[in-house]
Amino acid sequence: MNFWQILAQLATGAGYTILVTVACIATGLVTGLLVALLTRLRLRALDRLLATYTYVFRGVPVLVLLFLVYFGLPGLGLNVPPLVAMMLSLGLIAGAYLAEVFRGAFASVDPDEIMAAEAMGMSRRQILLAIELPQMLRFAVPGMLNEFTTVLKYSPFAYTVGLPEIMKQAMALAATTLRGLEIYLAIGVLYFGIYKLMLFLVRAIERRYAVPGFIRL
Amino acid sequence: MALLEVRKLVKAFDGKAVLDGVDLDLEEGQVKVIMGPSGCGKSTLLRCINRLTEPTSGQVIFRGEDVTRPDTDVRALRQRIGFVFQNFALYRHLSALDNIKLGLRKLRAMSEQEATSRAEHELRRMMMQDHGAKYPAQLSGGQKQRVAIARALAMDPAVLFFDEPTSALDPHMSREVVALINQLYLDNVTMLCVTHDVFLARHISDRVLFLDHGCVRAEGDADHLLEDHEDPHIRAFFGRETQGQ
Repeated sequence: MNFWQILAQLATGAGYTILVTVACIATGLVTGLLVALLTRLRLRALDRLLATYTYVFRGVPVLVLLFLVYFGLPGLGLNVPPLVAMMLSLGLIAGAYLAEVFRGAFASVDPDEIMAAEAMGMSRRQILLAIELPQMLRFAVPGMLNEFTTVLKYSPFAYTVGLPEIMKQAMALAATTLRGLEIYLAIGVLYFGIYKLMLFLVRAIERRYAVPGFIRL
Repeated sequence: MALLEVRKLVKAFDGKAVLDGVDLDLEEGQVKVIMGPSGCGKSTLLRCINRLTEPTSGQVIFRGEDVTRPDTDVRALRQRIGFVFQNFALYRHLSALDNIKLGLRKLRAMSEQEATSRAEHELRRMMMQDHGAKYPAQLSGGQKQRVAIARALAMDPAVLFFDEPTSALDPHMSREVVALINQLYLDNVTMLCVTHDVFLARHISDRVLFLDHGCVRAEGDADHLLEDHEDPHIRAFFGRETQGQ
Protein backbone atom coordinates (compact mmCIF):
# COMPACT_ATOMS: atom_id res chain seq x y z
CA MET A 1 0.00 0.00 0.00
CA ASN A 2 1.75 3.17 -1.14
CA PHE A 3 1.22 6.74 0.04
CA TRP A 4 -1.31 7.57 -2.69
CA GLN A 5 -3.38 4.53 -1.89
CA ILE A 6 -3.35 5.52 1.79
CA LEU A 7 -4.39 9.04 0.83
CA ALA A 8 -7.22 7.73 -1.37
CA GLN A 9 -8.51 5.46 1.39
CA LEU A 10 -8.42 8.18 4.03
CA ALA A 11 -10.14 10.60 1.67
CA THR A 12 -13.31 8.54 2.05
CA GLY A 13 -13.53 9.96 5.58
CA ALA A 14 -13.09 13.51 4.31
CA GLY A 15 -16.83 13.76 3.70
CA TYR A 16 -17.48 13.33 7.42
CA THR A 17 -14.76 15.84 8.31
CA ILE A 18 -16.34 18.37 5.97
CA LEU A 19 -19.82 17.55 7.32
CA VAL A 20 -18.69 18.07 10.95
CA THR A 21 -16.81 21.26 10.06
CA VAL A 22 -19.69 22.75 8.07
CA ALA A 23 -22.28 21.81 10.72
CA CYS A 24 -20.17 23.32 13.51
CA ILE A 25 -19.38 26.47 11.48
CA ALA A 26 -23.11 26.89 10.70
CA THR A 27 -23.97 26.49 14.41
CA GLY A 28 -21.23 28.94 15.34
CA LEU A 29 -22.27 31.48 12.72
CA VAL A 30 -25.95 31.43 13.68
CA THR A 31 -25.19 31.58 17.41
CA GLY A 32 -22.41 34.14 17.08
CA LEU A 33 -24.51 36.39 14.85
CA LEU A 34 -27.53 36.16 17.11
CA VAL A 35 -25.47 36.94 20.20
CA ALA A 36 -23.65 39.83 18.50
CA LEU A 37 -26.89 41.33 17.13
CA LEU A 38 -28.70 41.06 20.47
CA THR A 39 -25.66 42.49 22.27
CA ARG A 40 -25.58 45.36 19.78
CA LEU A 41 -29.25 46.12 20.49
CA ARG A 42 -28.27 46.52 24.16
CA LEU A 43 -31.27 44.68 25.53
CA ARG A 44 -30.80 45.01 29.27
CA ALA A 45 -32.70 41.84 30.05
CA LEU A 46 -30.37 39.73 27.89
CA ASP A 47 -27.05 41.50 28.42
CA ARG A 48 -25.93 39.41 31.40
CA LEU A 49 -27.03 36.15 29.77
CA LEU A 50 -25.17 36.89 26.51
CA ALA A 51 -22.02 37.97 28.34
CA THR A 52 -22.11 34.81 30.45
CA TYR A 53 -22.44 32.65 27.33
CA THR A 54 -19.39 34.16 25.60
CA TYR A 55 -17.41 34.13 28.87
CA VAL A 56 -18.15 30.50 29.78
CA PHE A 57 -17.99 28.93 26.32
CA ARG A 58 -14.65 30.54 25.51
CA GLY A 59 -13.21 29.10 28.70
CA VAL A 60 -14.31 25.46 28.38
CA PRO A 61 -12.14 22.99 26.40
CA VAL A 62 -13.89 21.50 23.38
CA LEU A 63 -13.25 17.90 24.42
CA VAL A 64 -14.63 18.46 27.94
CA LEU A 65 -17.81 20.02 26.57
CA LEU A 66 -18.13 17.31 23.91
CA PHE A 67 -17.89 14.55 26.53
CA LEU A 68 -20.28 16.42 28.78
CA VAL A 69 -22.86 16.56 25.99
CA TYR A 70 -22.30 13.10 24.50
CA PHE A 71 -21.55 11.02 27.59
CA GLY A 72 -23.03 13.24 30.31
CA LEU A 73 -26.46 14.16 28.99
CA PRO A 74 -27.61 10.50 28.55
CA GLY A 75 -27.40 10.35 32.35
CA LEU A 76 -30.27 12.84 32.35
CA GLY A 77 -32.15 10.77 29.80
CA LEU A 78 -31.03 12.90 26.83
CA ASN A 79 -29.35 10.87 24.11
CA VAL A 80 -27.55 13.17 21.72
CA PRO A 81 -26.44 11.93 18.26
CA PRO A 82 -22.68 12.36 17.60
CA LEU A 83 -23.05 15.13 15.01
CA VAL A 84 -25.43 17.09 17.25
CA ALA A 85 -23.00 16.63 20.15
CA MET A 86 -20.27 18.18 17.99
CA MET A 87 -22.57 21.08 17.11
CA LEU A 88 -23.47 21.65 20.76
CA SER A 89 -19.84 21.62 21.84
CA LEU A 90 -17.48 22.75 19.09
CA GLY A 91 -20.28 24.71 17.34
CA LEU A 92 -21.31 26.66 20.43
CA ILE A 93 -17.70 27.34 21.42
CA ALA A 94 -17.06 28.66 17.90
CA GLY A 95 -20.22 30.75 18.31
CA ALA A 96 -18.82 32.38 21.45
CA TYR A 97 -15.56 33.27 19.67
CA LEU A 98 -17.41 34.47 16.56
CA ALA A 99 -19.68 36.64 18.72
CA GLU A 100 -16.53 38.42 19.91
CA VAL A 101 -15.21 38.73 16.34
CA PHE A 102 -18.55 40.28 15.32
CA ARG A 103 -18.59 42.58 18.37
CA GLY A 104 -15.19 43.96 17.34
CA ALA A 105 -16.31 44.33 13.72
CA PHE A 106 -19.49 46.14 14.79
CA ALA A 107 -17.32 48.60 16.73
CA SER A 108 -15.60 49.49 13.45
CA VAL A 109 -18.78 50.77 11.81
CA ASP A 110 -18.51 54.54 11.47
CA PRO A 111 -20.72 56.13 14.19
CA ASP A 112 -21.38 59.08 11.86
CA GLU A 113 -23.10 56.77 9.37
CA ILE A 114 -25.29 55.43 12.16
CA MET A 115 -26.12 58.97 13.22
CA ALA A 116 -26.94 59.90 9.62
CA ALA A 117 -29.39 57.01 9.47
CA GLU A 118 -30.94 58.03 12.80
CA ALA A 119 -31.22 61.60 11.52
CA MET A 120 -33.06 60.25 8.50
CA GLY A 121 -35.64 58.64 10.79
CA MET A 122 -34.64 55.01 10.48
CA SER A 123 -35.42 52.69 13.38
CA ARG A 124 -32.73 50.94 15.43
CA ARG A 125 -33.59 47.62 13.77
CA GLN A 126 -33.48 49.11 10.26
CA ILE A 127 -30.08 50.67 10.95
CA LEU A 128 -28.75 47.44 12.38
CA LEU A 129 -29.85 45.34 9.42
CA ALA A 130 -29.31 47.77 6.54
CA ILE A 131 -26.14 49.56 7.60
CA GLU A 132 -24.31 47.97 10.52
CA LEU A 133 -24.71 44.28 9.63
CA PRO A 134 -23.53 44.46 5.97
CA GLN A 135 -20.50 46.53 7.00
CA MET A 136 -19.74 44.40 10.03
CA LEU A 137 -19.74 41.16 8.02
CA ARG A 138 -17.18 42.60 5.61
CA PHE A 139 -14.95 43.72 8.48
CA ALA A 140 -15.27 40.34 10.18
CA VAL A 141 -13.99 38.16 7.31
CA PRO A 142 -10.39 37.72 8.59
CA GLY A 143 -11.59 36.89 12.11
CA MET A 144 -14.26 34.54 10.76
CA LEU A 145 -11.73 32.71 8.60
CA ASN A 146 -9.49 32.21 11.64
CA GLU A 147 -12.38 30.73 13.59
CA PHE A 148 -13.49 28.50 10.71
CA THR A 149 -9.92 27.16 10.53
CA THR A 150 -9.96 26.47 14.26
CA VAL A 151 -13.22 24.54 13.85
CA LEU A 152 -11.66 22.45 11.08
CA LYS A 153 -8.65 21.71 13.27
CA TYR A 154 -10.85 20.65 16.20
CA SER A 155 -13.05 18.47 14.00
CA PRO A 156 -10.90 15.31 14.66
CA PHE A 157 -12.49 15.24 18.12
CA ALA A 158 -15.50 13.80 16.30
CA TYR A 159 -13.73 10.44 16.24
CA THR A 160 -14.06 10.26 20.04
CA VAL A 161 -17.83 10.10 19.70
CA GLY A 162 -17.77 7.56 16.88
CA LEU A 163 -18.03 9.65 13.70
CA PRO A 164 -15.99 7.95 10.94
CA GLU A 165 -14.13 11.08 9.87
CA ILE A 166 -10.53 11.13 8.61
CA MET A 167 -8.93 10.68 12.01
CA LYS A 168 -11.03 7.66 12.87
CA GLN A 169 -10.17 6.04 9.52
CA ALA A 170 -6.50 6.84 10.02
CA MET A 171 -6.35 5.26 13.45
CA ALA A 172 -8.03 2.12 12.16
CA LEU A 173 -5.64 1.97 9.22
CA ALA A 174 -2.58 2.64 11.38
CA ALA A 175 -3.60 -0.18 13.73
CA THR A 176 -3.75 -2.69 10.87
CA THR A 177 -0.80 -1.53 8.73
CA LEU A 178 1.54 -0.02 11.34
CA ARG A 179 2.51 2.66 8.78
CA GLY A 180 1.93 5.66 11.02
CA LEU A 181 4.29 8.04 9.24
CA GLU A 182 2.61 7.83 5.83
CA ILE A 183 -0.87 7.68 7.32
CA TYR A 184 -0.56 10.73 9.55
CA LEU A 185 1.29 12.60 6.82
CA ALA A 186 -1.63 11.81 4.50
CA ILE A 187 -4.03 13.17 7.14
CA GLY A 188 -2.04 16.42 7.25
CA VAL A 189 -2.26 16.68 3.45
CA LEU A 190 -6.03 16.09 3.52
CA TYR A 191 -6.64 18.68 6.24
CA PHE A 192 -4.51 21.16 4.36
CA GLY A 193 -6.53 20.45 1.20
CA ILE A 194 -9.81 21.06 3.06
CA TYR A 195 -8.34 24.26 4.53
CA LYS A 196 -7.38 25.47 1.05
CA LEU A 197 -10.87 24.70 -0.22
CA MET A 198 -12.40 26.67 2.65
CA LEU A 199 -10.01 29.56 2.04
CA PHE A 200 -10.94 29.57 -1.65
CA LEU A 201 -14.67 29.68 -0.85
CA VAL A 202 -14.36 32.43 1.74
CA ARG A 203 -12.16 34.52 -0.54
CA ALA A 204 -14.66 34.03 -3.40
CA ILE A 205 -17.50 35.28 -1.18
CA GLU A 206 -15.33 38.17 0.01
CA ARG A 207 -14.57 39.15 -3.59
CA ARG A 208 -18.24 38.86 -4.57
CA TYR A 209 -19.25 41.40 -1.90
CA ALA A 210 -16.14 43.61 -2.06
CA VAL A 211 -16.78 47.35 -2.07
CA PRO A 212 -14.10 49.64 -3.56
CA GLY A 213 -12.23 51.57 -0.90
CA PHE A 214 -14.12 49.96 1.96
CA ILE A 215 -11.62 49.67 4.80
CA ARG A 216 -11.70 49.71 8.59
CA LEU A 217 -11.41 53.33 9.73
CA MET B 1 -46.39 81.17 11.20
CA ALA B 2 -42.71 80.23 11.19
CA LEU B 3 -41.75 76.76 10.00
CA LEU B 4 -39.53 76.35 13.02
CA GLU B 5 -39.57 78.17 16.34
CA VAL B 6 -37.03 77.41 19.03
CA ARG B 7 -37.84 78.83 22.44
CA LYS B 8 -35.48 79.03 25.43
CA LEU B 9 -33.73 75.84 24.42
CA VAL B 10 -31.30 74.51 27.00
CA LYS B 11 -28.96 71.55 26.67
CA ALA B 12 -26.63 70.70 29.52
CA PHE B 13 -24.00 67.97 29.57
CA ASP B 14 -22.96 66.98 33.10
CA GLY B 15 -24.51 70.13 34.50
CA LYS B 16 -22.69 72.40 32.02
CA ALA B 17 -25.03 74.27 29.70
CA VAL B 18 -23.92 73.99 26.06
CA LEU B 19 -27.12 75.71 24.95
CA ASP B 20 -28.41 78.22 27.45
CA GLY B 21 -31.80 79.51 26.39
CA VAL B 22 -31.56 79.73 22.60
CA ASP B 23 -34.37 81.37 20.63
CA LEU B 24 -34.57 80.99 16.87
CA ASP B 25 -37.18 81.42 14.14
CA LEU B 26 -36.99 80.00 10.65
CA GLU B 27 -39.55 80.97 8.03
CA GLU B 28 -40.63 78.81 5.10
CA GLY B 29 -38.23 79.30 2.20
CA GLN B 30 -35.69 81.12 4.34
CA VAL B 31 -31.96 80.36 4.52
CA LYS B 32 -30.50 81.14 7.92
CA VAL B 33 -26.89 80.75 8.98
CA ILE B 34 -25.69 80.04 12.50
CA MET B 35 -22.15 81.09 13.25
CA GLY B 36 -19.99 81.25 16.35
CA PRO B 37 -16.79 80.01 17.90
CA SER B 38 -15.97 76.30 18.15
CA GLY B 39 -17.79 74.68 21.03
CA CYS B 40 -20.46 77.40 21.23
CA GLY B 41 -23.23 74.83 20.69
CA LYS B 42 -24.00 75.29 16.97
CA SER B 43 -24.05 71.61 16.06
CA THR B 44 -25.76 70.71 19.35
CA LEU B 45 -28.53 73.13 18.45
CA LEU B 46 -29.20 71.34 15.14
CA ARG B 47 -29.10 67.95 16.87
CA CYS B 48 -31.51 69.15 19.58
CA ILE B 49 -34.00 70.39 17.01
CA ASN B 50 -34.33 66.96 15.38
CA ARG B 51 -33.80 65.29 18.75
CA LEU B 52 -30.66 63.38 17.89
CA THR B 53 -29.70 64.95 21.21
CA GLU B 54 -32.40 65.34 23.83
CA PRO B 55 -32.79 68.97 24.95
CA THR B 56 -32.69 69.55 28.71
CA SER B 57 -35.52 72.11 28.55
CA GLY B 58 -37.20 74.57 26.21
CA GLN B 59 -39.43 74.13 23.20
CA VAL B 60 -38.99 73.34 19.54
CA ILE B 61 -42.14 74.16 17.60
CA PHE B 62 -42.19 72.62 14.14
CA ARG B 63 -45.07 73.79 11.95
CA GLY B 64 -47.04 74.73 15.06
CA GLU B 65 -46.43 71.46 16.87
CA ASP B 66 -44.26 71.25 19.98
CA VAL B 67 -41.91 68.42 19.06
CA THR B 68 -40.12 68.37 22.41
CA ARG B 69 -43.16 66.74 24.02
CA PRO B 70 -42.54 63.18 25.22
CA ASP B 71 -45.27 61.75 22.98
CA THR B 72 -43.71 63.18 19.80
CA ASP B 73 -43.06 60.67 17.04
CA VAL B 74 -39.35 61.42 16.81
CA ARG B 75 -38.77 59.28 13.73
CA ALA B 76 -41.56 61.08 11.87
CA LEU B 77 -40.05 64.42 12.90
CA ARG B 78 -36.62 63.39 11.61
CA GLN B 79 -38.10 62.35 8.29
CA ARG B 80 -39.27 65.93 7.83
CA ILE B 81 -35.80 67.34 8.49
CA GLY B 82 -33.03 66.61 5.99
CA PHE B 83 -29.58 66.58 7.59
CA VAL B 84 -26.31 67.02 5.72
CA PHE B 85 -23.36 66.22 7.94
CA GLN B 86 -19.94 67.83 8.10
CA ASN B 87 -18.15 64.71 6.86
CA PHE B 88 -21.04 63.70 4.55
CA ALA B 89 -21.64 60.38 6.42
CA LEU B 90 -22.46 58.43 3.26
CA TYR B 91 -23.00 54.72 3.80
CA ARG B 92 -19.69 53.35 2.57
CA HIS B 93 -20.98 49.91 1.58
CA LEU B 94 -23.61 51.37 -0.75
CA SER B 95 -23.26 53.07 -4.13
CA ALA B 96 -24.29 56.71 -4.48
CA LEU B 97 -27.61 55.60 -5.98
CA ASP B 98 -28.24 53.07 -3.19
CA ASN B 99 -27.38 55.69 -0.55
CA ILE B 100 -30.30 57.73 -1.84
CA LYS B 101 -32.60 54.75 -2.33
CA LEU B 102 -32.16 53.36 1.17
CA GLY B 103 -34.38 55.89 2.91
CA LEU B 104 -36.96 55.76 0.13
CA ARG B 105 -37.19 51.97 0.39
CA LYS B 106 -37.12 51.71 4.17
CA LEU B 107 -39.03 54.81 5.20
CA ARG B 108 -41.23 55.69 2.24
CA ALA B 109 -41.87 52.02 1.37
CA MET B 110 -41.29 52.77 -2.32
CA SER B 111 -40.91 49.94 -4.79
CA GLU B 112 -37.43 49.26 -6.19
CA GLN B 113 -38.42 50.91 -9.48
CA GLU B 114 -39.96 54.01 -7.86
CA ALA B 115 -37.00 54.45 -5.52
CA THR B 116 -34.50 54.09 -8.38
CA SER B 117 -36.39 56.60 -10.49
CA ARG B 118 -36.56 59.11 -7.61
CA ALA B 119 -32.90 58.62 -6.70
CA GLU B 120 -31.84 59.12 -10.32
CA HIS B 121 -33.90 62.31 -10.43
CA GLU B 122 -32.14 63.66 -7.33
CA LEU B 123 -28.73 62.72 -8.75
CA ARG B 124 -29.57 64.59 -11.96
CA ARG B 125 -30.65 67.60 -9.88
CA MET B 126 -27.21 67.56 -8.25
CA MET B 127 -25.52 66.97 -11.62
CA MET B 128 -24.30 63.60 -10.37
CA GLN B 129 -26.19 61.35 -12.78
CA ASP B 130 -22.96 59.80 -14.11
CA HIS B 131 -21.77 58.79 -10.66
CA GLY B 132 -24.71 56.75 -9.36
CA ALA B 133 -22.87 53.44 -9.50
CA LYS B 134 -19.79 54.75 -7.70
CA TYR B 135 -19.11 54.04 -4.05
CA PRO B 136 -18.29 56.86 -1.60
CA ALA B 137 -14.57 56.01 -1.63
CA GLN B 138 -14.56 56.63 -5.40
CA LEU B 139 -16.04 60.14 -5.09
CA SER B 140 -14.34 63.47 -4.38
CA GLY B 141 -15.32 65.56 -1.37
CA GLY B 142 -17.55 67.80 -3.44
CA GLN B 143 -19.23 64.82 -5.10
CA LYS B 144 -19.85 63.20 -1.72
CA GLN B 145 -21.42 66.45 -0.56
CA ARG B 146 -23.75 66.44 -3.56
CA VAL B 147 -24.78 62.85 -2.92
CA ALA B 148 -25.40 63.68 0.75
CA ILE B 149 -27.62 66.59 -0.29
CA ALA B 150 -29.42 64.43 -2.86
CA ARG B 151 -29.98 61.78 -0.18
CA ALA B 152 -31.52 64.37 2.11
CA LEU B 153 -33.63 66.00 -0.62
CA ALA B 154 -34.99 62.67 -1.86
CA MET B 155 -36.96 62.35 1.38
CA ASP B 156 -38.72 65.60 0.48
CA PRO B 157 -37.98 67.29 3.80
CA ALA B 158 -39.62 70.49 5.05
CA VAL B 159 -36.22 71.90 5.95
CA LEU B 160 -32.61 71.03 5.24
CA PHE B 161 -29.95 71.29 7.96
CA PHE B 162 -26.30 71.71 6.99
CA ASP B 163 -23.65 71.10 9.63
CA GLU B 164 -20.41 72.78 8.52
CA PRO B 165 -20.96 71.90 4.84
CA THR B 166 -17.67 73.33 3.61
CA SER B 167 -15.29 72.43 6.44
CA ALA B 168 -14.00 69.33 4.62
CA LEU B 169 -13.80 70.98 1.19
CA ASP B 170 -11.21 73.05 -0.63
CA PRO B 171 -12.07 76.67 -1.63
CA HIS B 172 -13.13 75.65 -5.14
CA MET B 173 -15.52 73.01 -3.86
CA SER B 174 -16.76 75.43 -1.20
CA ARG B 175 -17.79 77.81 -3.97
CA GLU B 176 -19.65 74.94 -5.62
CA VAL B 177 -21.55 74.37 -2.38
CA VAL B 178 -22.47 78.06 -2.31
CA ALA B 179 -23.87 77.77 -5.82
CA LEU B 180 -25.71 74.61 -4.88
CA ILE B 181 -27.33 76.11 -1.79
CA ASN B 182 -28.33 79.17 -3.78
CA GLN B 183 -29.91 76.91 -6.39
CA LEU B 184 -31.86 75.14 -3.63
CA TYR B 185 -32.95 78.52 -2.30
CA LEU B 186 -34.36 79.35 -5.73
CA ASP B 187 -36.18 76.00 -5.56
CA ASN B 188 -37.74 77.28 -2.32
CA VAL B 189 -35.94 74.83 -0.03
CA THR B 190 -35.84 76.07 3.58
CA MET B 191 -32.35 75.72 5.04
CA LEU B 192 -30.56 76.16 8.34
CA CYS B 193 -26.80 76.11 8.05
CA VAL B 194 -24.16 75.94 10.75
CA THR B 195 -20.79 77.17 9.54
CA HIS B 196 -17.49 78.84 10.36
CA ASP B 197 -17.08 79.85 6.76
CA VAL B 198 -17.61 83.61 6.33
CA PHE B 199 -17.56 83.29 2.54
CA LEU B 200 -20.36 80.73 2.67
CA ALA B 201 -22.38 82.74 5.19
CA ARG B 202 -22.08 85.94 3.18
CA HIS B 203 -23.13 84.29 -0.07
CA ILE B 204 -26.03 82.09 0.94
CA SER B 205 -28.02 84.09 3.45
CA ASP B 206 -29.06 87.53 4.52
CA ARG B 207 -29.77 86.42 8.06
CA VAL B 208 -26.98 85.32 10.34
CA LEU B 209 -27.35 84.29 13.94
CA PHE B 210 -24.26 84.52 16.15
CA LEU B 211 -24.09 81.98 18.93
CA ASP B 212 -21.63 82.34 21.79
CA HIS B 213 -21.38 80.30 24.99
CA GLY B 214 -24.71 78.68 24.24
CA CYS B 215 -26.61 81.97 23.84
CA VAL B 216 -27.70 83.98 20.81
CA ARG B 217 -25.40 86.96 21.04
CA ALA B 218 -26.69 88.67 17.93
CA GLU B 219 -28.88 88.16 14.91
CA GLY B 220 -29.02 90.33 11.88
CA ASP B 221 -28.32 90.71 8.23
CA ALA B 222 -25.07 89.22 7.06
CA ASP B 223 -23.34 92.44 6.03
CA HIS B 224 -24.02 94.21 9.31
CA LEU B 225 -23.03 91.24 11.46
CA LEU B 226 -19.96 90.28 9.49
CA GLU B 227 -18.66 93.78 8.83
CA ASP B 228 -19.42 96.39 11.45
CA HIS B 229 -21.36 95.02 14.37
CA GLU B 230 -21.29 97.19 17.49
CA ASP B 231 -20.32 94.23 19.72
CA PRO B 232 -16.48 94.22 19.86
CA HIS B 233 -16.44 90.48 20.56
CA ILE B 234 -18.31 89.75 17.33
CA ARG B 235 -16.15 92.22 15.40
CA ALA B 236 -13.01 90.55 16.76
CA PHE B 237 -14.35 87.11 15.89
CA PHE B 238 -15.09 87.97 12.28
CA GLY B 239 -11.97 90.11 11.97
CA ARG B 240 -9.84 87.09 12.79
CA GLU B 241 -11.87 84.86 10.55
CA THR B 242 -11.66 87.23 7.61
CA GLN B 243 -7.88 87.49 7.96
CA GLY B 244 -7.68 83.72 8.04
CA GLN B 245 -9.57 83.25 4.75
